[in-house]
Amino acid sequence: MADYARVDLDAENQVTFELNGRQVSAPAGTMLVDACYAHGVEVPIFCYEPRIGPPVGACRMCLVEVEGMRGLQTACSTPVRPDMVVRTDSPAAKDGQEGVLEILLMNHPLDCPVCDKGGECPLQDRSFKFGGGKSRFFEGKRHFPKPLELSSRIALDQERCISCFRCVRFSQEVAQDGQLTMQERGVQSQITTFSGDAYEDRFTGNIIDVCPVGALTSIPYRFVARPWDITNTPSVCGLCPVGCNTELTLRDGDVKRVTGRPDPNYEVEEGWLCDVGRWGFDGDGGITRLTRAIVRDANGERHTDLTDAVAAATVALRGASKPVGVLLGATATVEEAAIALELAGGALAGARVARLGIPAAPLAALRATPRAQLDEIERADLVAVVGGDPGLAQPITELRMRKAVLRNGARLVTIGSRPGTLADVATHVHAAPGALTAAVAELAAQIGATGRPVVLWDEAELAAEPAAAEALAEAVSANGATRQIELGADVNGAGLRALGIPATGLLEALEAGELGALLTVRADPRSAPGRVAWEAALEGDVPVVALATHADRTTDAATVVIPVQSLLEQEGTLVSMTGRAQRVRRGAEGPAGAAPGWEVLIALGHHLGAPPAYRTASAALAAAGGRYAGIEGLTYDAMGVGGVELPRPAADHLAADAGPARAAGSDGLALVATRDVYGGREASRAPALAAFHAPAAATVSPATAAALDVTDADTVTLTSPYGAASLPVRIVDGLSDDAVFVTLGTADAAAEALMPPDRGPVRVGVSVEARR
Amino acid sequence: MTADQIREYLEPRRHEFADPRSLVLPALKFAQTGRGYLTREDMEAVAEATGYSASYVESVATFYDRVYTEPVGTRVVSVCVSMSCQLRGADQVWEALCDKEGVDHHHGGTSADGRITVQEAQCLGYCDRAACIQVDAEETQGPHTPDSARALVDELRAAPDPDEYWR
Ligand code: SF4
Ligand code: SF4
Ligand code: FES
Ligand code: FES
Repeated sequence: MADYARVDLDAENQVTFELNGRQVSAPAGTMLVDACYAHGVEVPIFCYEPRIGPPVGACRMCLVEVEGMRGLQTACSTPVRPDMVVRTDSPAAKDGQEGVLEILLMNHPLDCPVCDKGGECPLQDRSFKFGGGKSRFFEGKRHFPKPLELSSRIALDQERCISCFRCVRFSQEVAQDGQLTMQERGVQSQITTFSGDAYEDRFTGNIIDVCPVGALTSIPYRFVARPWDITNTPSVCGLCPVGCNTELTLRDGDVKRVTGRPDPNYEVEEGWLCDVGRWGFDGDGGITRLTRAIVRDANGERHTDLTDAVAAATVALRGASKPVGVLLGATATVEEAAIALELAGGALAGARVARLGIPAAPLAALRATPRAQLDEIERADLVAVVGGDPGLAQPITELRMRKAVLRNGARLVTIGSRPGTLADVATHVHAAPGALTAAVAELAAQIGATGRPVVLWDEAELAAEPAAAEALAEAVSANGATRQIELGADVNGAGLRALGIPATGLLEALEAGELGALLTVRADPRSAPGRVAWEAALEGDVPVVALATHADRTTDAATVVIPVQSLLEQEGTLVSMTGRAQRVRRGAEGPAGAAPGWEVLIALGHHLGAPPAYRTASAALAAAGGRYAGIEGLTYDAMGVGGVELPRPAADHLAADAGPARAAGSDGLALVATRDVYGGREASRAPALAAFHAPAAATVSPATAAALDVTDADTVTLTSPYGAASLPVRIVDGLSDDAVFVTLGTADAAAEALMPPDRGPVRVGVSVEARR
Repeated sequence: MTADQIREYLEPRRHEFADPRSLVLPALKFAQTGRGYLTREDMEAVAEATGYSASYVESVATFYDRVYTEPVGTRVVSVCVSMSCQLRGADQVWEALCDKEGVDHHHGGTSADGRITVQEAQCLGYCDRAACIQVDAEETQGPHTPDSARALVDELRAAPDPDEYWR
């Protein structure tokens, strides 16, 4: 349970004490509540939440008797001491616990029958288990309007609040957004923000998970289900490469809610989720969802069923006189990629398989250096972020870095073209796009002088500056204590690389006329970086078979479109940016007209006359685990619920996976293609995330705006050697001058139009298109 | 009140407070001397001057009875309703003032002309002069009767407005 801290009963310096008449032990410094829990004794708590911070003793629920100490003690803030004699179930302790519950319930409305928390409520459970079942309070209870809207996503029922301060502490000390507070005092106490402004921020949903009562509830989940209507399935978020472990709440074949795991994965998300991971599921079934297969031929376009579509796909792929190309998108699972590789070796012999992503070669040396999981950030004395803006692109990493600074006093340095979301706690070292190498050299000196450094590096930005990547690889391996964490760009990029799939080669072959057909798996090359080149290469009569969840530019033009289930609906394995293989599980049933991607690929193998030897996702993975060194021995059993860390790739892994050498040139402004899951395609589909929806923009610094003579009322046309895009101007302080920042993954795919497929350094010309 | 004015006020007093968080309260009391209560902008200025978030500043402001986040009267009359004063007729003094100013007996409040706010106070440490009253942050006075209390607010109403609203 996340409520209690993990206790290592095998650690050194155990302290022995007496608990309810038994001799037990726990490491020195362990809080009594945690020690008791580790020995099977539940001491009730409300305010204690070790993930949020040190105990505050706000609720008094955890009273226990400690011999020799006057009065009852709060077990959440009393560390174990040698030979102490503790009683959690003596008459005095029970009297204390019953008394506290009676006080907490004094003003509580007890409206459990209409409360969303009812049935999964710590207050309810602990009242039954530890309460006296009576109240001596006959005065009127306090009243507040019900519910209050704390934000567009969170409802507050102030009457139910027991003033445990968990939500306030999350906001102030974990997210550090400085927004939530308790105002007034006594019975008037109220959770609110400054002047009652909406609590809009990026990690707000976690306060729903930590609230031990029904005071904070999710607006999209309000009155949607009762705990006995639902089943919960552990899964993994597929919206960014962090791979937070999640729990899906299912009812009537649908995902109704996503929450943090009650049993957190401390090496990944520590039980927290960003608001996109929590509410992004909401857009999964929106209007662009593909629910029926489409076949386009000489007779026009028809909707059809899966069997017919697979047959049509077989014709399209088999009819090709030249080899077939197979393109895997960033969310293609390990199973799907492995089956695609098997098809390429058999049914589609000679096929060229590639992924939509960043070429691996420039980063191979860096990836081979000692790697860490996210929990290592907490143990570091120096945390350095090289490139990117992880708070927006790999959100949960931000909370770990804030924890390292606030709780552990680590030094945080961010290096790159923008200060980003960590600006308030980090020292920002400015490095213009293209100038990371010099900054890395400076960092190397600091790393050398530090005991336990952790370096987080941005995949996209370091791939664009191979010299900086090389230098960083050297700096990391020079000091035996340094660990690195990749801030990945693609959800399952690491999984696809582990199977040896390159990011290059396919488009080039297509352009050279060497391929006869294209099979895409969760890939939309027409919206990806280099999309202008992809569109040109697909101009001809190359048939495209697209396996996709949502309609996109590729499915709009494909010969055969086969709807596949989303990562909320099917089994699969994703490998996170830190190399953890983790299981995505079937939650929702998905549209009747869609099938799991792996199943469609197996069916294609059957139709093409070379059936794979397995029929399930788990057997497909086990087969792949026996074939590819990168995932050797990987099975569903081996992953369990928390996943396993795969071996680091060797320094020569995918050494040939490189785009053409590109000189950045010096004309125009540097293009920085930024990644922002809050502004991405998935988030924009989700109605619950409407507060984040913002139009794409060409963002520049004030000085650059002045040099270009534009204001944020203007629209500009950006032109690169690879394409062009028109965007409204936005001006933001602190950014590199002489650079334009454009977000990737927005609906209009503007940044992608300006980039080459390998994403290399790009400079753009800017012309003012319209003045408003 | 601007953040600079607040900083200037705090500077010579900083050393009196071991924990910098303690500066928030004097800053708030000073910030409200301009209007007699705090606006959103005043609290933002305190936040800027002390380095704490605006929401934290507001939580401190709403915790204390003598820091106001809504407009109150030109003069604030606090009637002690604790034990000693009650034994010496505080209830009658309280009700007399509420009736005179036309505000409700349960919560007190501000008169329609905006001149007087009547509010309850807990023991003011003047039990020996119960029933007692404090006007703004002035020295507590007593013993009061309903008549003397009514006379007191008549006087306050006639008096010129204070230059600074210390409460
Ligand atoms: S709203 Fe919930 S988490 Fe916040 S103080 Fe109240 S009971 Fe605790
Ligand atoms: S940080 Fe990434 S993996 Fe975690 S919940 Fe957010 S989008 Fe999902
Ligand atoms: S859990 Fe110990 S005081 Fe709240
Ligand atoms: S009870 Fe009124 S001053 Fe003490």
